[in-house]
Amino acid sequence: MNAQAQSLDIRQLLNKHVAEVFQTMLSLHAVPQSHSPFPLFGDRVTGSVGLGGDIVTGALYLHMPSRLAQRITGAMLRLSAGEFGEAEINDVLGEITNMLTGHLKSCLCDAGAPCAVSIPSIIRGSSYQVETLPDVRRELLLFHCEADPLAVEVHLKFN
Amino acid sequence: MPTKILSVDDSRTIRLIVARAFRPYDCQICEASNGEEGLAVAAREKPDLILLDVTMPVMDGVTMLTKLKEDPALKPIPVIMLTAESGRENVLLIARLGVRDYLVKPFKEEQLVEKTRRVVTLQKKATATQPVT
Repeated sequence: MNAQAQSLDIRQLLNKHVAEVFQTMLSLHAVPQSHSPFPLFGDRVTGSVGLGGDIVTGALYLHMPSRLAQRITGAMLRLSAGEFGEAEINDVLGEITNMLTGHLKSCLCDAGAPCAVSIPSIIRGSSYQVETLPDVRRELLLFHCEADPLAVEVHLKFN
Repeated sequence: MPTKILSVDDSRTIRLIVARAFRPYDCQICEASNGEEGLAVAAREKPDLILLDVTMPVMDGVTMLTKLKEDPALKPIPVIMLTAESGRENVLLIARLGVRDYLVKPFKEEQLVEKTRRVVTLQKKATATQPVT
């Protein structure tokens, strides 16, 4: 057990960092929303990066509607829709998810819970949810970006 | 002679951003998508600078850097690490490996150019001038 790592304010850490990543890399505003139910995305794209170490394991998921994923890809690559496809969307979403998870990993490491991150993976669909197993801490952070919902979901298990 | 920069990152997006950042300068950008490829390209191209990601499949940036520093021919090439991890532990690890500098993602292209300028010479490309009539 690591009390310092477990007491990290994940919401505060990520609320600020999500906004910073979106502003710096995409020139887009991701505005935190107050606690509300998981958004109805319709067609959804999710970026996922795992975390693993002796003290902590888990994953970070970045969920967004497909149209926002397209917009983000266009903003990052400075291309208009039609100039890129699914491969580019996957790469951009993977990289953004990686930046968010890298920050979380750094905070966990500095709090005494060293861990490594996986390479990103992408999930697509219209009706799925990530369920937690027992003893897993789940944090859900909601944002609005360009009038679309955006969700960051963190699952952490401390050994 | 253009400044030769090797960009090693598994993300095409980051490689594209790197290439875009140096477009106004007289630079030749070489690319590799993991550490293993990066070592091969470094040996072949002898770049003036390597911009190196940390987390990559096949061979990560830390392993590539360690092997680079073990090779007398490649050891002198300066390396700037691009990392998504800004924590104290990570920064200490990177510093111990002998990198010239590091840049934490997210970053602006201007920050990348500024860090690079501290390590290698960057010349602006000559702009085409209108013919005098």
